[in-house]
Amino acid sequence: MSVSDETLPRVALVGFPNVGKTTLFNALTGSNQKIGNFTGVTVSKVTGSFYTPHGQKMELIDLPGTYSLSPKSDDELVTSQTLIGTQENESKPDLILCVTDAKSLERQLHLVHQIIDTKIPVVLVLNMVDEAEKSGVRFAPDILSDELGIPVVPCQANSKKGLTELKQSIRLPFPHCSKNIISEINSLQDLENKEAEEKRLSRAKMIGKESIRRETNGNMKWNDRIDAVALHPFFGWVLLASIMFGIFWSIFKYAGYPMDWIEGLFGLLSDKVTQLMPAGVLRDLIIDGMIGGVGGVVVFLPQILILFFFIALLEGSGYLSRAAFLMDRVMGTAKLSGKSFLPMLSGYACAIPGIMATRSIPSAKERLATMMVLPWTSCSARLPVYLLLVPLLLSNLNHQTWVMFGIYALGTITALIAARLLRSRFGEDDTVPFMLELPPYRWPDLSFVWRHVAEKGMAFLKKAGTLILGISILLWALESFPKVPEESEMSQHEYSLLGRAGNFIEPVVKPLGWDGRIGTAVLASFAAREVFNSSMSVSYAVEDEEDSETLRNRLQAAKWPDGRPVFTLASILSLLVFYIYALQCLPTTAVVKGETKSWKLALGQLFGMSFFAYIAAFLTFQIVSLL
Amino acid sequence: MSLLNAHSIEIDSALTLSQAEVGCEFQIKALSSQVCQQLREIGFCEEMRIRKISNGRNLICTLCGTRLALSKKLAEHITVAPLN
Repeated sequence: MSVSDETLPRVALVGFPNVGKTTLFNALTGSNQKIGNFTGVTVSKVTGSFYTPHGQKMELIDLPGTYSLSPKSDDELVTSQTLIGTQENESKPDLILCVTDAKSLERQLHLVHQIIDTKIPVVLVLNMVDEAEKSGVRFAPDILSDELGIPVVPCQANSKKGLTELKQSIRLPFPHCSKNIISEINSLQDLENKEAEEKRLSRAKMIGKESIRRETNGNMKWNDRIDAVALHPFFGWVLLASIMFGIFWSIFKYAGYPMDWIEGLFGLLSDKVTQLMPAGVLRDLIIDGMIGGVGGVVVFLPQILILFFFIALLEGSGYLSRAAFLMDRVMGTAKLSGKSFLPMLSGYACAIPGIMATRSIPSAKERLATMMVLPWTSCSARLPVYLLLVPLLLSNLNHQTWVMFGIYALGTITALIAARLLRSRFGEDDTVPFMLELPPYRWPDLSFVWRHVAEKGMAFLKKAGTLILGISILLWALESFPKVPEESEMSQHEYSLLGRAGNFIEPVVKPLGWDGRIGTAVLASFAAREVFNSSMSVSYAVEDEEDSETLRNRLQAAKWPDGRPVFTLASILSLLVFYIYALQCLPTTAVVKGETKSWKLALGQLFGMSFFAYIAAFLTFQIVSLL
Repeated sequence: MSLLNAHSIEIDSALTLSQAEVGCEFQIKALSSQVCQQLREIGFCEEMRIRKISNGRNLICTLCGTRLALSKKLAEHITVAPLN
């Protein structure tokens, strides 16, 4: 999202990570930017606009969370550069909304001071005041405002409480802080850095004591009970494994009915076209190329939605930080820290936001290692391929779930081994000791969860209706032309351009247990992984006169010329292994290039992972065939 | 009790956060070494009250209503004194 109008007053949201800046941004601008209950959700700048009650339009900038204006990681650097005015092609904001979590305001007063010292007008937003009051924290906003010399506005952004007051406080001309504070700031400028920091810290302590009363050291009883299990060295792992297993199980268990509906809908559509159109190339194109190709992918929409639903629930609940805490020991064996786990977890949805999220890792070498191995955490684009192939192996629901579990585990374990090798190669750097905030558990904001799931579903359908539709039509044309002469003994597939291309590449893919048809489908899926399903669907539909069987039945019936089945245990496992390891996503390569500023690394990752995938698939097929 | 004695008792009762007993409340007395600068930035300062929740490779504590996981190594640089 980008609304950049140089004439508009610019208001920036700044504060610690996970204090609700993006929730406030969404509430003020009506946007639907991603929110979550863990640190590092926002790693780049996002802009939007809103109107004040006085009718003034303003540009709102949501900046990544930061603990101080002395940045430790790339995302924090964006924030400090924006405030200092050293960001390229960008002026300083006209007003800062300094967003704080009211439950732990004392901890944030040091950053508030640093922000005031920038001499940009500031409004202090005490977010989550309802939660703070429930946990026994009492404020004196007037004292706070007097001591800091800036307006203070309490609010609860997720329930839109206090937003009117906040908007009213944002009026032109923006108020500069009081004169005595300005003279204090000026006096700090004459001091050494260290001395100035000490002054800020002692002042923050003094203001905290005067304006905040805490009945207890946080009411954490409810959280304590959950954490006693979630962070337990044994039961914590049992819980994490159960959650992962539950997600995969739900994907198989609950997607069945909606999948049948979607298949029925596409079947109905094919029947209608058959009734309305005379037989011919155009009808074949619509039924086999368009409906078959797109249908082969769209049928997996329910699984995609279920996966994103669970990811959104986990992100909103606060559990992900607990998972990162547990994983720190495992990540340590790969010379990574728990901080690398959160970007890797994002990679299960899509590698691109995962790679962007590595910006929050303070160590440059750890960040690079995480980025280089992250595409091995299986993203959602692989899901349709897995879901097509896994039921060919086993019919039992629990067994299918275990295989899916194994697929994700294999990708993750290999990523960790590779990370360890890379870290050893990159050499030692200043290790940053592990430190992680564990946010309080919260009920996820269900309205956001539904909007997020709907957004992901629409993105999937858009991809199916554009890129995958286009490639399906192309594949259909390559499979249907030239038409096989009536007197020929060859099949249409063998005679077609795609069939010939398949024959050409078959010697390369045969050692992996694949025929030319699978080989071309895999090759086509370098455009988008889901194209494998479309390609198989189109390829088998062109020869199937009846159009009655499901794609899975057609695959099970596929034979080599000597009558052996194509889809055996060995060839299916080899295909799965290839899809776990191959980096078939050019946008990921572009993002890696953008983040590392190196084509060598980005292309090395693309070709290296694909070569590794080929070798791993080859070994899998050969070893399993021997058993 | 003289001021000198009180100071000696305080020093005697001071211990690092990694040595501190789980479930008890403490007051942060000192943050030593450069690595603690990061702790200061996230709001970890002298005189604050802290409760230790668990031990381990990464220990857990609460501070100003926030739950934090810290590596044991880092906790060794935090000196605390028990609160009555």
